[in-house]
Amino acid sequence: MKSIRLERVSKSYDGELILDNLNLEIPTGQFFALLGPSGCGKTTILRLLAGLEHVDSGKIYLGDQDITNVPIHKRKINTVFQQYALFPHLSVFENVAYSLRIKRMSDDLIKAKVSELLKMVRLSGFESKMPRSLSGGQQQRVALARALISEPEVLLLDEPLAALDLKLKEEMLLELSQLQDKLKMTFVYVTHDQFEALTVSERMAIMNVQGDIEQLGTPKAIYEFPVSRFVANFVGNTNFIEGKLQISSGKYSVEVDGLGLFSVYTPVEKLWMIPGCRLYVSVRPEKIFISKSPKEGFSNHMAGKVIDIIYYGRSTQYRVKLRNGLYVLVFEQNEEHFPQENIDYDDEVHLYFQKENVVLLEH
Amino acid sequence: MKMLTRLITDELPFFLACPALLWQVVFLYIPFFVLAIYSICDYSAVTGTYFLTGSYYSDIIHSLCFKIILRSFFVAILIAAICFIIAYPVAYYLAVKSGRRYKTLLLFTLILPSWTNLIVQTYAWFFLLGKNGMISVLLQRIGLISPSFHLLNNYFSIIVGMVSCYLPFMILPIYAVLEKMDKQYLEASADLGADRFETFRRIVFPLSLPGVYAGLLLVFIPSFGEFAIPSLLGGSKYAFWGSVIVDKFLKSRDWRSGAALAFIGVMFPIMVMGLTYVLLRGKKIVQRYRQSHHDGLNGNGSAKEFWG
Amino acid sequence: MVDNRQYFWRFLNPIVVAIAYLFLYMPIIVLVLFSFNDAAFSVSWVGFSLRWYKKLINSPEIISALETSLIVAIVTTFLSLLVGTFFVVASRWWRTSMLGNIFYTNILLPEIVLAIGILSIFNFFNIPLGYGSVIAGHTLLGLGFVVPIVKARFVELDPILTEASLDLGATYLQTFRKVVLPLLMPSIIASGLLVFTLSMDDFLISFFCSGPTVQTLSVYVYSMIKTGVDPMINAVSTCFLVISSILVLVLCSLKVVDHVISYE
Repeated sequence: MKSIRLERVSKSYDGELILDNLNLEIPTGQFFALLGPSGCGKTTILRLLAGLEHVDSGKIYLGDQDITNVPIHKRKINTVFQQYALFPHLSVFENVAYSLRIKRMSDDLIKAKVSELLKMVRLSGFESKMPRSLSGGQQQRVALARALISEPEVLLLDEPLAALDLKLKEEMLLELSQLQDKLKMTFVYVTHDQFEALTVSERMAIMNVQGDIEQLGTPKAIYEFPVSRFVANFVGNTNFIEGKLQISSGKYSVEVDGLGLFSVYTPVEKLWMIPGCRLYVSVRPEKIFISKSPKEGFSNHMAGKVIDIIYYGRSTQYRVKLRNGLYVLVFEQNEEHFPQENIDYDDEVHLYFQKENVVLLEH
Repeated sequence: MKMLTRLITDELPFFLACPALLWQVVFLYIPFFVLAIYSICDYSAVTGTYFLTGSYYSDIIHSLCFKIILRSFFVAILIAAICFIIAYPVAYYLAVKSGRRYKTLLLFTLILPSWTNLIVQTYAWFFLLGKNGMISVLLQRIGLISPSFHLLNNYFSIIVGMVSCYLPFMILPIYAVLEKMDKQYLEASADLGADRFETFRRIVFPLSLPGVYAGLLLVFIPSFGEFAIPSLLGGSKYAFWGSVIVDKFLKSRDWRSGAALAFIGVMFPIMVMGLTYVLLRGKKIVQRYRQSHHDGLNGNGSAKEFWG
Repeated sequence: MVDNRQYFWRFLNPIVVAIAYLFLYMPIIVLVLFSFNDAAFSVSWVGFSLRWYKKLINSPEIISALETSLIVAIVTTFLSLLVGTFFVVASRWWRTSMLGNIFYTNILLPEIVLAIGILSIFNFFNIPLGYGSVIAGHTLLGLGFVVPIVKARFVELDPILTEASLDLGATYLQTFRKVVLPLLMPSIIASGLLVFTLSMDDFLISFFCSGPTVQTLSVYVYSMIKTGVDPMINAVSTCFLVISSILVLVLCSLKVVDHVISYE
């Protein structure tokens, strides 16, 4: 298995610059997700890797080999397309066998391999069916089998689950994850759905609208320790509290207008964290504890009034208006059938969070 | 009066659809019925009554007429084949290769001749291929042909005239299908390792077959029944199915025989197109139940089988 | 080896296209050019002259044939559009797609079969041939074009847009006037142009069904050609071409070309 690398790649489309001197290295044998809002260029990256587009400048490497000018059909990279693109006039068997037929492999070998792949995607017995008679999920699995049969170095997946309903999506994510685990092939998965990306990837990159990669790392690292406001807000929800940084005897605190002093903690001291600088404190809603009665043992406290309640089944989301006018989101897991405290609209509540559960972000 | 308007508004759909259906029935279906009766009825002056007979049909089948039908048939097949060979590359170029601006221009210039009067088009070739026509003169001057060699009034001119007339009708349906083809299929095929040629052979051509079939429908059947072109460009030297029908109906007033000839003749193209349709469908059915061991698609094979 | 095949084709393809277009246009261009030739029988260029056109305008037979063709074409177009559109709109209540397909036979059958059909039925009922029979035949053809083209557009807006309009409080008549008809108009116009051209260009049905009194332009030109080359035919043809070009231009500008082509 080889790693895939984009070196100073630029690409324009219709005069618009989508990628500008992009550098990206995708590690070998991992499930890699490329996450970003629509139009950020993630699909462009995928198409450049597949060979469906040409770079304006820069190089693409597969292992040590420069594949920048290698045409599509010669690259050992296969794609699962968003709309599957199953050949409508070919049966499932012929669709899956396609790349092997091109290679003029013997019929017996093809038959064996197709059976193997269909078994892998749990579609044994579907050989003679035509694509139009299959459900969305089944079509997708055929597309998967078709792309995997020729044992490519890299598998590209372009928002493959976009057309499926939620339950099916969850099932397929699990299957994809298990498949990649078994094959140990590099999967590059492009999506705008953060849930998909977080669930399935071992490593992911977040792209912003300008086509730059904001952060690269494991899902947990990205979620818990975002490096910018964009990442913090794009992946999951968060609360931004604006304030001024104060450092005294190694302890960090942030002064917020109208709310007082908050005690914060950062695992890494960044260069921009000088005393007196303005910054944002990011606190995720699930890290905030909400209570009608005062509690002890928390580093930070805020008080406010409940403006909005949304019931999510597993959790309840509260929107609280603080004394200084700031709105804060709080997620509370519905642990109890009959909770001790019933929080209702217009209730005055106390919000608590620990100093370790924040991320300091540059202004 | 009021009841009438009530009736009309209540049964509005019926009244709206009526004229069209009525037209079909009166001018198409009933005439067929009448013609059918003509072809199997005969009037005996002896008994003064009508009686059923198959004599008109058998006369035609056993006479020269049948050879004429076959001639029309094979000429039509030839025309369709020539049109197909020229039309496919043109349609491909229009749909796939040409840039956006050229495409509209090319389409416009393609549609124009097909919207021109058939007689005008035919006359144009008549003018060019005649003894003193430009092409004859040109080829004579170059020395390619001798002065006594006729370009007109033979099979050559008829075929040239018919191909010229029907070519756009073969190009347009194929173009329409190729144009609408989802580019993703081409991308997927290339992604899986097929070069341009393989992609064409396995994906593009098979998927374009409905367009090819439509083109055949528009070329083969009319050229079978063509009368004006052979008459003008063939100098009425050769009898075709169309010209015999003209003769029987307008000159010799032998309507019963003419009707029988019409029915026999019209069977040919209908059977061929029906057979083609079944074969096209049939290939898919066969593929389903046989794990085919010729490479992927029979697309190329089946097309060439049909029109030699 | 594979790459050579591709390069060869990339080179060959435009050539085939060029040859095809040349083949289609060469006769027409020569025809037009020589309609301005100042010579009766020569095929070499003598001089520019409009005399054949003058002769054309002064020929009563041609003018009358043109009149006949125009009358037939206009009536045919009107009838085809009216009857055809009614039929398509009626399909809203019947919703049988099968029924709309019956008109395909009008186009797919050899025209000569239609012609003898019309001939025989008029003869059977002892109705003399003339304008009626020709128009009847042309309208048959016309319906075969109008119904599919208008239907294709109609199914895009009914029931979706119709139901939306009714939901907002309009009666069906209002819906028809404000929504259905305006949206159908491009298809109606396009198919109307098609039918008009078809009728003007038609030969077989006009030849069979016009009888002794009525003669359309196509039939007249045919008889002219039978007597030999005559530059006046070139002039008539050029006029035909100009009219066709204008009609095609109008059609193209309507942006319904896709509909027409995909139908064909």
